[in-house]
Amino acid sequence: MSVIEVEGLQKSFGRLQVLKDISFQVEQGDCVAIIGPSGSGKSTLLRCLIELETADGGSIRIHGQLLVERGIYAPAAKTRPIIARMGMVFQQFNLYPHLNVVDNLELAPKLVKGLRGAELRGRSLELLHKVGLAEKASSFPGQLSGGQQQRVAIARALMMEPEILLFDEPTSALDPELTGEVLSVMKELARERMTMVVVTHEMGFARDAANRVLFMHDGCILEEGSPERIFSNPQRERTRVFLQSVL
Amino acid sequence: MEYILQITPALLRGAGVTLGLFAVVLPLSLPLGFLTTLLQRCRFRPLAWLANGYVFVMRGTPLMLQLFFFYFGLPFVPWIGKYLTMAAFPCACVSFTLNYAAYFAEIFRGGLLSIDKGQYEASKVLGLSRAQTMLRVIVPQMIRVTLPSIGNEAITLVKDTALVTAIALPEILHYAKGAVTRDFTTAPFVVAAVIYLLINLVVALAFQQMERRFAYAGREGGGLR
Ligand SMILES: Nc1ncnc2c1ncn2[C@@H]1O[C@H](COP(=O)(O)OP(=O)(O)O)[C@@H](O)[C@H]1O
Ligand SMILES: [Mg+2]
Repeated sequence: MSVIEVEGLQKSFGRLQVLKDISFQVEQGDCVAIIGPSGSGKSTLLRCLIELETADGGSIRIHGQLLVERGIYAPAAKTRPIIARMGMVFQQFNLYPHLNVVDNLELAPKLVKGLRGAELRGRSLELLHKVGLAEKASSFPGQLSGGQQQRVAIARALMMEPEILLFDEPTSALDPELTGEVLSVMKELARERMTMVVVTHEMGFARDAANRVLFMHDGCILEEGSPERIFSNPQRERTRVFLQSVL
Repeated sequence: MEYILQITPALLRGAGVTLGLFAVVLPLSLPLGFLTTLLQRCRFRPLAWLANGYVFVMRGTPLMLQLFFFYFGLPFVPWIGKYLTMAAFPCACVSFTLNYAAYFAEIFRGGLLSIDKGQYEASKVLGLSRAQTMLRVIVPQMIRVTLPSIGNEAITLVKDTALVTAIALPEILHYAKGAVTRDFTTAPFVVAAVIYLLINLVVALAFQQMERRFAYAGREGGGLR
């Protein structure tokens, strides 16, 4: 059973159709990179998977459970636990500016899972250590660099123990010299076989860390395959043009 | 000098009314204002219209008119008027609270608009309910954004209490005016002004303190906690 199965997904904003009949699957432990020109619908696709946008048509199954069937969402009582198995990392980090780093990590586990005390603190410190920010536990987001903030955001998502992590251009808001620290945390997660779907303009990451690449253009997945195939031997002219423009 | 000492006790008695009104109106109108903001955003449209209408009327008419309406006007409402008759102080509390709640509602509405939608999205993805998101994520940030404007309104409130002299509530200005017309001197007005200034100095300092407490460290300024 695939971890994510998307079939015939459609989404319009007003008269603009942003997703046209999108179908793909993600398997356990996959790291899927979604690449493509800006405006092609990559963010919208990711956001539909976690119900930040509502699709108009098509089906989404997460671990075999229906989130959307032919454009109709399951009732909230059913979608909530499905979405709870996913985490998301945003381009703009979206940390809580009024909470320090540990409190950013611990707010959701406290409120949603009722975790408390030493066990929770142990977990948050462990994850901060994992993203290399153990010494920043009591800093506020505003005191951190963009790269540090994004690593905190990844740790915050991991606190909820998601089975799938979605990344929407996690390094696009960063100064070039700060992308490396974030990408290396993501590569580490990929090595641990975390199931990941990553929208990215970092072709290096797509080539090295992803095991599958989807190329999106104008609301469609034009081409998909292994990184070697997409990067060394793209089948479609559009893909070739795009890769030439970014490499 | 002796004269000033002689009139000051009466003016201070008046200041008691000002402070009493302030102490009742501020803590009541802030939550009422926030509730109004929530209703304005309510998906059940009739409730939102009601809240919008309330804000429109309260902001669009003079506070003095509202005060007169509640004090002199309500008792003449047919049938139920006699149950709506209030003593001057409670009546002032009600009209000021309703009026200030409308202003606070507008301030809070602006505060909510200033919060990035990414905060809601991150909370949703982390599994927070809408109430949890509001209480633990949005409101603390809204308070920080709106504190300066709320402080501003609080200072206006202190000054607006002078209006209640029009419904024969003896506050600072009432005693000052009495002394001026009785003794043919400007001194009581000066003393009254000093009392208002002192009260507002305390209010301003209190809000400055709160702003400092609610500030969180960030690049855009705001002190360390
Ligand atoms: N909330 C929205 N309302 C209207 N149009 C939107 C909205 N979100 C995205 N779009 C439009 O949908 C298209 C695809 O956007 P997006 O999914 O963000 O593309 P990408 O992430 O590939 O750059 C763009 O033309 C964008 O302007
Ligand atoms: Mg995008």
